Amino acid sequence: MLRQPLTRALALSSSSRIAPLGVRRYAEALAQPEKVEVFIDDKPVYVPPGTTVLQAAAMVGVEIPRFCYHERLAVAGNCRMCLVEVEKSPKPVAACAMPVMKGMRVKTTSDLTKKAREGVMEFLLVNHPLDCPICDQGGECDLQDQSMAFGSDKSRFTDIHFSGKRAVEDKDVGPLIKTIMTRCIHCTRCIRFASEVAGVDDFGTTGRGTDMQVGTYVEKMFLSELSGNIIDLCPVGALTSKPYSFAARPWETRRIDSVDVLDPLGSNIVVATRTNEVLRILPRTNEEINEEWLSDKSRFACDGLKRQRLVTPMVADSRGNLTPVEWEDAIVAAAHAIRDCPPNKLVAIAGELADAESLVALKDLVNRLGGENVCTEQYFPMGGSGTDLRSSYLLNTKIANVEDADFVLLIGTNVRFEAPLLNARIRKAFIHKETDVAYIGPKVDLTYEYTHVGDSASIVKELATGSSNHEVLKRLQSAKRPVVILGADQLKTSEGSALLAFTQELALRLQDKLEDKEWKVLNVLQRTASQVAALDVGYKPGVGAILQDGPKVVYLLGADAGVVTRESLPKDCVVIYQGHHGDVGASIADVVLPGAAYTEKRGTYVNAEGRAQQTLPAVTPPGKAREDWKILRALSEVLGARLPYDTLDEVRHRMAEISPSLVAYGDVQNNNYFAQARVLAQSLQKPVSGKLDVQLKQLEDFFMTDAISRASPTMAKCVQAVLKQKQSPY
Amino acid sequence: MLSSLRSGVQGLWRASSRALQTTSTLQHDSLFVHRDTPEDNPNIAFEFTPENQQRIDALLAIYPEGHKRGAMIPLLDLAQRQNGGWLPISAMHKVAELLSLPRMRVYEVATFYTMFIRRPIGKYHLQVCTTTPCWLRGSDAVLKAIVDATGCEVGGNSPCGKFSISEVECLGACVNAPMVQVNDDYYEDLTVEDTKEIIEKLKRDEKPKPGPRSGRFASEPLGGLTSLTEEPTGPGYGLQDGLKA
Amino acid sequence: MLKAISTATRLSMPTLSRSLPAFSTSSSRFASQDPTTRKEAPKIDTETVIALPAEAKEKQVYESQICVPTKVDLSPISGVPEEHVRCRRVRIYQPPKNAMQSGTNNIHHWEMEFDTRQRWENPLMGWTSTGDPLSNMKLQFTNPDEAIEHCEKNGWVWYLDCPKTEKEFKTKSYGLNFSWNRRTRVSTK
Repeated sequence: MLRQPLTRALALSSSSRIAPLGVRRYAEALAQPEKVEVFIDDKPVYVPPGTTVLQAAAMVGVEIPRFCYHERLAVAGNCRMCLVEVEKSPKPVAACAMPVMKGMRVKTTSDLTKKAREGVMEFLLVNHPLDCPICDQGGECDLQDQSMAFGSDKSRFTDIHFSGKRAVEDKDVGPLIKTIMTRCIHCTRCIRFASEVAGVDDFGTTGRGTDMQVGTYVEKMFLSELSGNIIDLCPVGALTSKPYSFAARPWETRRIDSVDVLDPLGSNIVVATRTNEVLRILPRTNEEINEEWLSDKSRFACDGLKRQRLVTPMVADSRGNLTPVEWEDAIVAAAHAIRDCPPNKLVAIAGELADAESLVALKDLVNRLGGENVCTEQYFPMGGSGTDLRSSYLLNTKIANVEDADFVLLIGTNVRFEAPLLNARIRKAFIHKETDVAYIGPKVDLTYEYTHVGDSASIVKELATGSSNHEVLKRLQSAKRPVVILGADQLKTSEGSALLAFTQELALRLQDKLEDKEWKVLNVLQRTASQVAALDVGYKPGVGAILQDGPKVVYLLGADAGVVTRESLPKDCVVIYQGHHGDVGASIADVVLPGAAYTEKRGTYVNAEGRAQQTLPAVTPPGKAREDWKILRALSEVLGARLPYDTLDEVRHRMAEISPSLVAYGDVQNNNYFAQARVLAQSLQKPVSGKLDVQLKQLEDFFMTDAISRASPTMAKCVQAVLKQKQSPY
Repeated sequence: MLSSLRSGVQGLWRASSRALQTTSTLQHDSLFVHRDTPEDNPNIAFEFTPENQQRIDALLAIYPEGHKRGAMIPLLDLAQRQNGGWLPISAMHKVAELLSLPRMRVYEVATFYTMFIRRPIGKYHLQVCTTTPCWLRGSDAVLKAIVDATGCEVGGNSPCGKFSISEVECLGACVNAPMVQVNDDYYEDLTVEDTKEIIEKLKRDEKPKPGPRSGRFASEPLGGLTSLTEEPTGPGYGLQDGLKA
Repeated sequence: MLKAISTATRLSMPTLSRSLPAFSTSSSRFASQDPTTRKEAPKIDTETVIALPAEAKEKQVYESQICVPTKVDLSPISGVPEEHVRCRRVRIYQPPKNAMQSGTNNIHHWEMEFDTRQRWENPLMGWTSTGDPLSNMKLQFTNPDEAIEHCEKNGWVWYLDCPKTEKEFKTKSYGLNFSWNRRTRVSTK
């Protein structure tokens, strides 16, 4: 077996994560200052000056314990757990805040360091309740872990007879976060997260000394769309998840890595399950998409997966009531309706949670029957190049690169609620890179300051033609890495195509002048997880024109946005609904085919950047529900138009035939043909006069936007709590 | 014999008796969370008076643009003085608004400093020092006299609403112990009679003369100087002849 | 030998797609002959596998060269039901860091896991039951290559899944909290 040593020799021996397709970094090409040599436990390491001792130690694989330090938050240096001995220093130093110096010798395992850690641990535990058995953090608690690893083996705490442990009143910060503030060790991570990342300065410390407590001082809900992240950040059990409280222990659950579909970004998630039930969803680190954050909807809407589910096929009886039937009957009923319908009267409409496999299967099926009417619920103008060029409907800059932008122009999109983690990126750039933001649209709270240019669509025209004398145009023109983000919602109106054309013109005008030829300016932010894949596959965006023709059969693939109503359809029209939730679509259906939700199937979703990712089945679909492409495959068999794939692999081969990018999981291709799209859009540059409006204006609008979150009781509680908080004077 | 055994057992029992769940003692006389009360809630409007508004302008002018939040403590103090010695939540909100800061940042400062009082308080805030030097000089009697004269509990307000008593730690006037601070003034070298007299005057809203009650001017020895009694020597004292001009 | 090198170099190539196509199937495994396009194992040397130890030894003696079996397919003799060889799909990945904890000590390896199949709550004790014998088979490897080799030996269809978790290095600074002219100045504390 010669292979092993050889393999090791060939550069795969390191356990570092392979990330060859890194995002291009646009950091200023400064002359790299000379590196400093430091010694961590006598291991030499060269680090850039200004690196902290803790970071230098991490480079050689030495992990220094910490509570308050978090690499995505500001350095606080208040927990003192990272104390290490530095040679020639009279006292142990806090590694998280101490910059390295030349020739520094750090001892992370010396007696002094150990003693310091034990001391800190002992102090922390003096006031920490011994309630691990009833604490939800138990098993994934940093305080537990570190007291095991670095704490003393005995306690000298005897004061229990006199004054007892410190007790702190619990706070009520909303329906998502449960607080048990006695457990708090004052690391201030939640305060820093709220202030830096979420941009909602509601947390702070009140009082001082022993009386210091972390909280909101007044009764106030934590009004943020990213609030769930402070549960992850909390190193102890002071902040835990309210919906998940007392539900399970971490070692009981199975964790399945998957992808979120409730917003267009496709955040990476870990689905924790037990006994075929999704218990909670946690973020999974992906530097290119969600870093390690997750929006509240993605995190907490998972209880909607257990409610309002379609668990059995149903067919409307003679009185119009949906009655449960066997799969065979439902499929035969659907097939009858489709067979009796002329192909041009068959309309298939894909909803916002449809996976690429079922999108491909549905389109193939309709095409095989001779029809062409496959469309999505979201509209996109088809003038000019329409959806032929991918660059016209994607986030071309890419999420991670937005961090490097120096000027961001948002046109008619409330990024904060349409794509919370993209907004977090913009905020990060705003804080760390001094990026300025301008915004066209109704006034909204984006959590950072922005220049409000107005809410009229004509501003975009003026900016594109250069006739505007607003300072934003000058800023855009002088920017080295500008970003223009257009909300896809604006394209619904009759002026949509002109707006897109002007945005393309503006972005391309800026892009042409850039020194960095690789930088992309134009971005269109889609609203749903399925739209990009649907457009890639060749779906027509929008249902308006197709419904005008009076279809005889409407096939809804999870179409729950309410764009199809019974009133807009002819009386004799048969509606077939395939999906996982009894929502808008199922309520108007004659035949219901129960499908699988995103946690129950291996499905491909393409995010707003055009990055294909796949969800993995964490649980099995409830009742008789089946994977969506399989339902369509079965239906095709009955219809006599057999789809040529039997396994998921074959479906994916078919997807690869349509577009290889659909199966290039994790990767995102650079888009080109901007210039061609711009030329084709020239004729569309008609005067615009409308006002830009965004759908999600307030936090209460954010929580319930799709079939899953509408079914979620937690999300309903959030809406109520936010509305109640709005009544409060605080 | 038996009784001694019993007391021994009782002692043992006392040492080891502790309910599984004990509530910790309250460590501070004020709360560090806000509770709405009829006197203190965000619906009660707070506005600075025109005079104070001028002071605020002057204060804000001290701090450079972008760092106006440095004026937070002076502004809070101004608000507290305007509001009769205590700081209502709406005043904190007003200060946050003036400095365009999140409210939480003002709450943090207002709760950190003990001289910001966040509950309604009497017109005269009597702060009795009970730290060791004052205590040795009879601060307990002074405190009792004040409690008796005002009918007010320590940490509470008097029934007439005029007085509030706090027991405080050293106020830095140990040479003139025992002492009491009434609002901004120190009353030192107190006896029980002096204390009663001060309270009586305050009840009539007269201002007693601040300072030591023992006849001293400041903190010099009571019975006249015990050292440095001679005439101060003039310049050139002790210089060798050669250096004299 | 050469093949081993080529596999290794291919994997260490910087252009390696972060997830090899997830539709790699057994049926397509032996189709291509060009080693650069081949994603999975070549044909196995069944003779070597099936031979009795004595026979093998004898063969070795007779042969002048030492023959090292480069690829072995254990699936016919491993006793795993055929259905679990053909229909299962192995995901090779690095376990993600638990978002709730800051420690990273037990995630510096590669793991393989099978696709999830149905689980249910056992009515007797409330424990989780499954009919899937492979559901608890989580093996750890020091690098993806070993995991791939193991999967190929057992005839499982595998795919690699590695999201980008490496962060661009940026020095942290306590001083930034107090910088007077930057937005990093914190209002907290």
